[in-house]
Amino acid sequence: MSRRRQTIFSVLAIGLAVMILMTSQAIMVGFTQEFYAKTVDKMPHVTIEPKPDEDYIHLYRNVVENIKGIDGVVGVSPVLAGQATFDYKDFSKNVIMQGILVNDHDSVLHINEGITEGSFRDLEVTHNSVVLGDKLSDKLDVKIGDYVDASFPEANPATLKVVGIYNSGTPQDETLAFTSLSMAQDFFDEPNVVNSIMVRVDNPDNAGVISHKIDSMGYPASSWRETNPEIMQTITLESMSNDIILGLVIVIASFGIVSTLFMVVMEKSKEIGMLMAMGASRRSIQKIFILESGILGLIGAVVGVVAGIIISLSWGSYTFDTGGEAYAGVSTIPFIVRAQDAILIIIFTFLVNLIAGIYPARRASKLDPVEAISGE
Amino acid sequence: MSDEKIIQIRNLTKIYENGVEIRAIDNVDMDIETGEFLAIVGPSGSGKSTLLHQIALLDTPTSGTILLKGEDTTKMSDKQRSRMRNEELGFIFQYHHLLPDFNALENVMIPLLIKGIRRSEAKKVALQLLEEVGLIDRADHRTNQLSGGQNQRVAIARALVNRPSIVIGDEPTGNLDTKNSDSIYELLRHLNREHKQTFILVTHDLSMAAKTDRIITLVDGKIAEDSRNVSPT
Repeated sequence: MSRRRQTIFSVLAIGLAVMILMTSQAIMVGFTQEFYAKTVDKMPHVTIEPKPDEDYIHLYRNVVENIKGIDGVVGVSPVLAGQATFDYKDFSKNVIMQGILVNDHDSVLHINEGITEGSFRDLEVTHNSVVLGDKLSDKLDVKIGDYVDASFPEANPATLKVVGIYNSGTPQDETLAFTSLSMAQDFFDEPNVVNSIMVRVDNPDNAGVISHKIDSMGYPASSWRETNPEIMQTITLESMSNDIILGLVIVIASFGIVSTLFMVVMEKSKEIGMLMAMGASRRSIQKIFILESGILGLIGAVVGVVAGIIISLSWGSYTFDTGGEAYAGVSTIPFIVRAQDAILIIIFTFLVNLIAGIYPARRASKLDPVEAISGE
Repeated sequence: MSDEKIIQIRNLTKIYENGVEIRAIDNVDMDIETGEFLAIVGPSGSGKSTLLHQIALLDTPTSGTILLKGEDTTKMSDKQRSRMRNEELGFIFQYHHLLPDFNALENVMIPLLIKGIRRSEAKKVALQLLEEVGLIDRADHRTNQLSGGQNQRVAIARALVNRPSIVIGDEPTGNLDTKNSDSIYELLRHLNREHKQTFILVTHDLSMAAKTDRIITLVDGKIAEDSRNVSPT
């Protein structure tokens, strides 16, 4: 009876470890997907740059039209960006000034979603106007309707009216200022050119293929993966260390099964000896205990996976306060249960327990039948 | 004729070394014929159980050979010895050693299942054996629901279920009262006559030994006396 209880407890220990692994995997997958969606959503999927020996893209309207014709492309935005110094009263800040076509840029980066005050549309209605990142507007202490002075060596100074405040949830909010494309071309004194073309595609995973296609049309292009290799690295590294730690938890839980099986081998040594006397070979005795270990592990794994799925589904998502712009504004993590994770965890636990069962199984198979049967 | 000699033991020696060397069996030669009903007796420590375990292939000798049905068992692998134990040898111990988690019928079925016989077929054969030992109506009882004598009968049915050519008993009635042990003896004797199986019993019970065909007396690991009973009952 007490052995039965011990068996149940050691199976439950595995179940608990598997449940934690399953839940944590669901949250990890959710985080990865959310992080990926949020981050990749805020960056151009494909960026086209000037040819290697040129500073600007000339005849960019043709290029834009050509790219719009490619299957899978949903937005194309020509941009002229450069440095500028913004002055307001006693404050002075160096900024990145991006000249954009509002509709085109919105189709690539959904900038209208990030507007907190005013509107992007006013950039094209009001001459000499600017939309500032919210951090930048704080540092300059300007509000909607104020005028900032823009200047830079070799640029044509201008006074710009603040028509919007923008929050992207990235560190760019400290440095970014949007103007209309024509305004930027006037400021930098470079009419009819841009220095990058940003592209949005319907599926970010296809960015590489489309970038390659654009490349082969003669415009140097790179996908978000190439421009931001650290994103994938961070995600892979984090989920890998998570998996290793929780995999070890399962290994530790499996020791419970090993100790239970040792007890069984001790208590049942008479029966094991008898089975040998009746013709069970040492190998088949070994098989019995390895299988018992594996099956107990399997039961624990299935119980744990089911419990983990129930918890994940009933909890739904985990909301937390990011307290800043870390993790690209991810503040709600959905629990995502994937069949492949459940199956992988069950197989892993089963295998770990098969291996863990080898030791007590060898012990059982090495019993001397004479001693086992006659021993008290 | 050599095929009548089911067991041939030559120069059998078993030495235990626990700091001191103990010769449990010392250079024993012995032949046993098919269908013999024989008792091994002797004082405790004389090596009779050790000898029995060698014949039963539960232990390996230090030197010498044991031929079962003409095959040298000392050269066999664990798998071959296991198969031999399963098919040619049946054991009855002082305690029944039935598996407590199973009922009488399932216990009797185990050797058949180890042999690889289908469950339905094994069940049929096991029921037949339970009938022979007079316990057909107790087939679904567990060890703790049966008396000592009944459990020993189940153990006998289990030992005989594969129709082994040799049945080995290590004090098979040592744990029973006189009435029960007499009826167990009668049962073994009946099975011996019915199926021409060879029976080797180790016993302390001289009145029981007196009823067998042949008595081998061991002293200090050697055969001290080998006598045939002219008029066994």
